[in-house]
Amino acid sequence: MRNEIDQIAPYLSVIVPFYNEVESIEKLWQTLFVSLEKLEKPYEVIFVDDGSRDGTRDIMRNLANEYKQLRIILFRANFGQSAAMAAGFEAARGEIVVAMDGDLQNDPDDVGRIVAKLEEGYDVVSGWRKDRQDKVISRKIPSKIANYIICSLTDVKLHDTGCSLKAFRGELLHRIALYGEFHRFIPALLRMEGARITEMPVKHHARLFGVSKYNISRTFRVIMDLTTIRMLMKHLHNPLSFFALFSVLTGVCGWITAFIGAQQLFSGSPHVDTLNISIIMTMLLWSASFMFIALGLVGKLIVSSGERRSFSLDYEKYGH
Amino acid sequence: MGLANSQIMLDELHEKVVHGLVSVIITIKDQKDYLQQLDDDLHAGLREIDDPFEVIYVDDGSTDGSWLTLQQLARKSENRRVIKLRTAFGESSALQAAMEIARGQRIIYCTSRVRANSRDFGRLLKQLANADVVVGLRHPRRDSGFNQWISKAFNAITNHATKLHLHDVNSGVFAVRRQVLENVPFYGALNSFLPVLAHRQGFRIVEEPIEQLRGHFDTSLHPKDYVRRFLDLISVIFLSKYSKKPLHFLGFGGMVFALIGAFIDIYLFFYRLFGFGGIAGRPMLLLGTVLLVIGLQMIAIGLLGEMIIFTHARQIHEYNIEEIIN
Repeated sequence: MRNEIDQIAPYLSVIVPFYNEVESIEKLWQTLFVSLEKLEKPYEVIFVDDGSRDGTRDIMRNLANEYKQLRIILFRANFGQSAAMAAGFEAARGEIVVAMDGDLQNDPDDVGRIVAKLEEGYDVVSGWRKDRQDKVISRKIPSKIANYIICSLTDVKLHDTGCSLKAFRGELLHRIALYGEFHRFIPALLRMEGARITEMPVKHHARLFGVSKYNISRTFRVIMDLTTIRMLMKHLHNPLSFFALFSVLTGVCGWITAFIGAQQLFSGSPHVDTLNISIIMTMLLWSASFMFIALGLVGKLIVSSGERRSFSLDYEKYGH
Repeated sequence: MGLANSQIMLDELHEKVVHGLVSVIITIKDQKDYLQQLDDDLHAGLREIDDPFEVIYVDDGSTDGSWLTLQQLARKSENRRVIKLRTAFGESSALQAAMEIARGQRIIYCTSRVRANSRDFGRLLKQLANADVVVGLRHPRRDSGFNQWISKAFNAITNHATKLHLHDVNSGVFAVRRQVLENVPFYGALNSFLPVLAHRQGFRIVEEPIEQLRGHFDTSLHPKDYVRRFLDLISVIFLSKYSKKPLHFLGFGGMVFALIGAFIDIYLFFYRLFGFGGIAGRPMLLLGTVLLVIGLQMIAIGLLGEMIIFTHARQIHEYNIEEIIN
């Protein structure tokens, strides 16, 4: 088995990002190893360490020396989950790539099932923690709300976008670049490439070690990223139309105030206050309107000077 | 992106790297009379280190004939190399230019303005054995008291913003492994902020005191340099923190502005509606509306920034890999 792995490209790559998971890494590898061996297909597992300081790295090194199927990537510092997943995805050689969490919340036995689902002809299969082992008030409800907002804004119909266990068709995955905190929006990014996305119920275990963090600044960043994703999905092909919308809105408001002002001016006995307000408003609204058009043109310039292909070929149609 | 270009540039250079060689890069700007002495001092100091070395003098567009003297120096020996920038591009560009021809595995950078004692370079190299960047800590310092005071404030701000603990971040003297310069994004102002940028990439930074020689000219910075350096600091912090996520920064500012503006305008609207009096003459109306417009524009510009990043996302590497096994 080992020699085979060295020679041929694996069929399946499993990517697991870690950050300070010293308690769970060994157990995760053991269970993952057992369930992957059962699949009887060439596979590789890529553990990415995002600058852990608690000994995760030492365990990783030992495991990697022992098992040749395990490849490890160690970051020099903490660069965030998106960076860790991007590094894993880039290193992945498999036709199918599965991503999962390093904190034992996902069940390694689900990897085989999710791969089978992908083989039915999908490009992305997202896990759905149907029976979630979390606190209702602090985790489940906020997560449901977030999921509803994310799905309706990103045109991806999933029950649980937050689930880390996901399977992807490798070649499609290599078309997207993860940066910032876009790991939360991988299905949306792939949707932009025309991916066929589905979901599958998976098991979920309560978090045994460590605590998950929730804070207001993160919520804000997610909202900003969501705005970005939405804008990219809808308007990347033509940013001018996006900015033109705002330009027209502010422009029309400017015309209305201008009309009110003119009405006052020619009414014989103008109401000074109303006239002055309408002059101020008209000036500002019109200048905003021009600025938006200018920004739209710059946007057009940016997109046309970029190298991003504006289409995606169907993998079945050009023969693999 | 400049980042990607620099990476390619450095990759091409990789073959030229000579094992064990130390490249000493000195930037020169209008110091004709001092060059001979600088060269003598430097070689006297460098003779004490055991490793082979090359000295690269970069003339940052001097206009006083420094270049002629440098050319004469270069004729003296093989390991003195000189390059001249067509006009003054600044110390950061001079360092980049020198990196294009440097062959050393380890680099010592020193601006001639600082007049560091080259006998201390050996100690910098020794420290480099267990660190990635060694920053020279000028002690004792010879620049003006005012300059030192500014420098202190500057260090405090930098340390606070970057969680570094250095006493002299931009002393203008450092020793660094070549690998660091290859992995650090070139934002400009590299000479001043290499420790900051390297720190963000997870490299180990240490300090080593270095003596500043008494010179016959002023080693202080020009006041306009303070302004420039402060702007550099802002841009380095912004770029290293938000360059991949412009909307996180501009969106926050924009939202705050727009909300304050909207609040003011709504207040004034009801004030007028319920007949408390006219509002056109009140500066608050102008303030509220301008804030609202600026806020929206900031958000729009943030989105535009996101668009730039997204269309160039392929060239972005946000991480720095230390080790790969299997």
